[in-house]
Amino acid sequence: MLLVGLPLAVAARPTIEELKARSVLDDYESNVLHGYDIVMDTPRHAPRYSGNRLSCTNCHLAGGTTPDGLPLNVAGLYPRWRAKNGVRNGIGLRIRECFLYSHNGVMPPADAPEVLAVAAYINYLSEGEVIGKPPKHWGVPTLTGTNQDPNPAMGEMVYRRACVSCHAADGSGVGSAPPLWGPASYSAGAGMNNVQKAAGFIWANMPLGAGRSLTQQEALDVAAYLHLQGRPVDPRDGRLRKLAERFVHWLGGLTGRR
Amino acid sequence: MSVLREVLPDFSWWSGADKRREAASGIAGAVLVIPQAITFAYVVGLGPEYGLYCAAFVALVSSLFGNSAMVGGPNTALSILLSIAIMPHAGRGSPLYTEYVLLLSLMVGVVQLALWALRGATLFRYLSPAAIGGIKIGVGVLLITSALEGTLGVSGLTMQFFHEKFYVVLASWSEIVNPYAAAISAATILSALRLKRWLPRAYIIVAVAIGAVVGWVIDGVVGPVQSQVELLGRVVFDPLPLRLLTVTTEHLAVLEELIPNAVAIAVLGLAQSLVISRDLKTRMSPSVDLHKEVFAQGLSNVVGPFFSSFAGSGSFNRTSVAIEMGARTPLSGIVAALAVVAIAWGLGPFLTHLPMPAIAAVLLLVGAGMIQWKEIRLYARSRVDATVCGVTVFTVCFVGLEAGIVVAIVTSVVFFVASASRVSLDITRDGDTEHIAVRGNLFYASIDGLVGHLRAHPATRTTLDLRAVPYCDSAAIAAIDMIRRERNQQGGRLDLVRGDVTGIAAAA
Repeated sequence: MLLVGLPLAVAARPTIEELKARSVLDDYESNVLHGYDIVMDTPRHAPRYSGNRLSCTNCHLAGGTTPDGLPLNVAGLYPRWRAKNGVRNGIGLRIRECFLYSHNGVMPPADAPEVLAVAAYINYLSEGEVIGKPPKHWGVPTLTGTNQDPNPAMGEMVYRRACVSCHAADGSGVGSAPPLWGPASYSAGAGMNNVQKAAGFIWANMPLGAGRSLTQQEALDVAAYLHLQGRPVDPRDGRLRKLAERFVHWLGGLTGRR
Repeated sequence: MSVLREVLPDFSWWSGADKRREAASGIAGAVLVIPQAITFAYVVGLGPEYGLYCAAFVALVSSLFGNSAMVGGPNTALSILLSIAIMPHAGRGSPLYTEYVLLLSLMVGVVQLALWALRGATLFRYLSPAAIGGIKIGVGVLLITSALEGTLGVSGLTMQFFHEKFYVVLASWSEIVNPYAAAISAATILSALRLKRWLPRAYIIVAVAIGAVVGWVIDGVVGPVQSQVELLGRVVFDPLPLRLLTVTTEHLAVLEELIPNAVAIAVLGLAQSLVISRDLKTRMSPSVDLHKEVFAQGLSNVVGPFFSSFAGSGSFNRTSVAIEMGARTPLSGIVAALAVVAIAWGLGPFLTHLPMPAIAAVLLLVGAGMIQWKEIRLYARSRVDATVCGVTVFTVCFVGLEAGIVVAIVTSVVFFVASASRVSLDITRDGDTEHIAVRGNLFYASIDGLVGHLRAHPATRTTLDLRAVPYCDSAAIAAIDMIRRERNQQGGRLDLVRGDVTGIAAAA
């Protein structure tokens, strides 16, 4: 009973560098390190399920440690209900869906070692957070300072001015900057393909290292521009069915013109 | 000198080999092994590429150093045993798990080399065919059971006994079975059964391809989110997967615990390889040296882990296909191993969207193929064989594979001893002279009958004809000696007609 009033003595969490320097790791620590490696370089450390050139850290900035940059200290929020799939999501399902949607890959099985490792890393980042309470600067900020509808034409001008030096004119990315559209980028089912979310992410974090230098309207416009670019289809749609729909549409166009 | 002949690769078969036929059978073998390798890697709990490494490098070394047409590489029973051994020590498929699997495989190779040095090939003579048949049937049942989840798209059924799984699936199939997964595996199995007669060499590949096409159509129409069919994922095949094995103090503690597993896996691997090569030796190539085969198996498992391969052994089904296609020398195995590297390297990108139910269906077919009614009927004819086989199958299914191997060896030996201890006494009387012709081995387990008879007729004059006794141990000699002394004291006589049994000669 006495203990209740005392502050919890939380042992300082070892940094990733400290973990890497250790000669002996327990099961949890080795999974944390494996998860960190996967988050930092997904195509290399989780090649089996990754389908494009993106790494987790491209959106969950700095390995999921950046406030307002989709931080990963969210283990306490799961399991939670999500509108995206309409079921109660454990952290494992959440991670597996990231492989399917954002990495445009193959959904790993629930017991895939890659999933367990990333879950361990997320758990590690969440130490000290309160279960059930959203951490501060969770996700991306919601933009309230926009006063016009998103304008992709304006967005293209913003892109050419502020983004093109890292992400290239064709959106394929230069060096460590990720591809923003095209076959090597996220699919149409990814969270980043949501204009509001992408706008909040861009405003708070882009250009990298100079976050909040664009106006909120500019961020919204550039997000709309990205949304219009070609990218892999949403895995919720069957590719064949999509193709057939397009074919029927095209046929309808031909007959309509006559 | 003979040791050198066993240790060094021997290419004396080269001149006699029909190179064209060997190469053709090797390439067919490579095509056959690829779906199996992926399946067995899944059974071990590693990524698909590790099965391919095993099919390439373990098979290459065992053919290069061996001298028969036996095809080595990943093996069902060994794969199951590897996963059972490592599962408690590391998360399935994690880097640590991979390391442990490779280190255990290295230990298996070392144990096999030790068994080679102890002339292990002779040891396996005592493992009766019925016991090996029992192990095969039990493994078949285990394979079918473990493939059940994959073929039906059911995840994570953990039960204590295998039959419970069938019950759960039957009782609540409408809730847990994924119809898309079931459709893919049904397409694979049905086309395999249909094509088996027309394409005896390639039917598994064609069946997997048909299953894959069904999977792609389902994927294309309803989408992966709706269908929830598990896919293989990208196979990252490195044609030269060199790996340095590190052993820390923490590893050592775990590895020490794994020694019994290493011995069990080594014994089972050698047992299977020797059954195959003994079969080849008697049927077609009398020049096959069994000791050399043991060395080749051990060496392949010692070298394999340095090429990211888990432990393997000779394969029943792949060897029989190779023989059918005309392979007579290790050349076909060497060609098969090199072809696996070439095909896997080129084919890798196409495997990503291969549905797992199609692969699980292959596992089911391999499991069903291990249960041969012909063999079961053969064993059923003999009471001893039926007992050995039945007890082994029961133990493998309900207790586990390792226990099953021990039981197989013990029951084989027990029945061997029981049959060896049968002694027939051919008694003829001539007045008060008794003549006893003994037929069979006289040793501690069989002497009681003879002693009992002699004690029951104490006063007579007896001639003991031992010419049909091939073996007589010290306990038997002591017993006969004692009876003779008793007879002498009571005024009777015991004469011996000696055969080649030296011990009796000394006693007389």
